[in-house]
Amino acid sequence: MLQTIPLEFYLILSAIMFMLGVIGVIVRRNAIVIFMSIEMMLNAVNLTLVSFSQFMGDSAGQIFVFFVMAVAAAEAAVGLAIVLALFRKKQTVYVDEVNVLKW
Amino acid sequence: MSTTVILFSILAIAAIATGVSVIINKNPVASAMSLILHFFALAGLYLTLNAQFLAAIQILVYAGAIMVLVVFVVMLLNLGKESALTERFNPRTGIAVSMGVLLIAQLAIAFFGQPTGYNQLSDKAALNGTAESIGTVLFTEYLFPFEAISLLLLVAIVGSILLAKKQQKESV
Amino acid sequence: MIDSYIPLIIMVSVGFLFGLSNIVLAQFLGPRKNKTKVKLEPYECGIEPTTSARERFSIKFYMTAMLFILFDIEIVFMYPWAIQFKELGMVGFIAMNLFMILLFAGFIYVIKKGALQWR
Repeated sequence: MLQTIPLEFYLILSAIMFMLGVIGVIVRRNAIVIFMSIEMMLNAVNLTLVSFSQFMGDSAGQIFVFFVMAVAAAEAAVGLAIVLALFRKKQTVYVDEVNVLKW
Repeated sequence: MSTTVILFSILAIAAIATGVSVIINKNPVASAMSLILHFFALAGLYLTLNAQFLAAIQILVYAGAIMVLVVFVVMLLNLGKESALTERFNPRTGIAVSMGVLLIAQLAIAFFGQPTGYNQLSDKAALNGTAESIGTVLFTEYLFPFEAISLLLLVAIVGSILLAKKQQKESV
Repeated sequence: MIDSYIPLIIMVSVGFLFGLSNIVLAQFLGPRKNKTKVKLEPYECGIEPTTSARERFSIKFYMTAMLFILFDIEIVFMYPWAIQFKELGMVGFIAMNLFMILLFAGFIYVIKKGALQWR
C-alpha cells in the first residue's frame, strides 16, 4: 500500500483538471462558464507548479503560483468587464451569437 | 495507509467531481458554486503538499474574491434557468471528451511508464511552504516581477473601469 | 506534518455535517404541510407577487466587487512582506512603497472617475 503520494499522481490529477477546463472552453457557449473553465485551467497549472516545487525543494514554483494568482485576479476583473460590455452591446453572453467579425 | 494518502484520494475525487460539475451544469450559478468547492479541494491538495501559505491564499483570492465577482456578474446579467436551458450540446462535445480522455491516457502511460523518481516531498518542503520563506524569496530574488505586478494591477484597474463604466452619453 | 491539520479537518467536517444535518433533519422532523401552490406563495393572502425575485443587480455592485479583488491582491502581497519586515530591511520597505504608490495612483484614478460613487 502507498505510504506517500508520488509526484506522478499530482501530475495526472492536474492533467485531468486541465482537460476538464479545455473541454469546458470548447463545449460551452456561455461566456461566463468559459471564463470559469479558464480559471480551472489556471488552477491545474498551479497544482503542477506547487507539486514540482515541493517535491524538488525549490520555492520558485510557489512564487510563480503567487504571481499566477495575481494575474488571475486582474484577468477576472478585466475579463468580466468585457463580458459586461459585450452584454450591453449585444444583449447576450453566448459566444456563438457574437459574430460581428464573421462575414 | 497514511493520512496523506487518504486525504489525497478524497480531495482528488472531490476536485474532479466538482470540475465535471462546473462544465455540465446548465445553470451558471450552480457552476459557480461547484467551482468554489473545486477551489477548496485544491486548497486541501496544497495542504497535502505542505504549502500552507498558498492554501490560505487560494481560499482568500479564488474562493473569496474571484468567485464573488463571477457570481455578481451572473446575477447582474440575470441568466435565469430560461436562458440557460437553451444551451445545446452538439457533436463537438463527444469529440472533445474523447480527445481529452485519449490525452489523459497518453499522459498516464508516459508518466507511469517512466517514473520521475520523486516519491516523497523534499526535506525542505515543510520549510518552503511557510509565509516566511515565501516572503524572503519574493522580496529578494523576485523583487522585479513583484513591482511589475503592481503595474499590471494598475492597468487592470484602469481597464476594467473603462470597460464596465457606462459611457457619459448613455447615462445622461 | 500533515497530521497537524487533523484538528482543522475535524472542525471543517463538523461544520459541514452540521449544515447538512440541519437540512436533512428538517425534512424528517419538521411538520408536514400540504404543499399546494397557494401555500408556497410568499403571501398567502394580500398582494400577489408580480415578477420573479431574481431581479437584475445594478452595475454599482460590480464596480465595488471588482475594485475589491484588485486591492485584495495588494493586501495578499503585504502578508509575506509584513512577516519578514525586519529581515528585509530598507530594500523591502522601498520596494513595498513603490508597489503602494503605483496602486495608490490607481486608487486616485478610481476616485476621480467616480467609480465608487453610489448613483
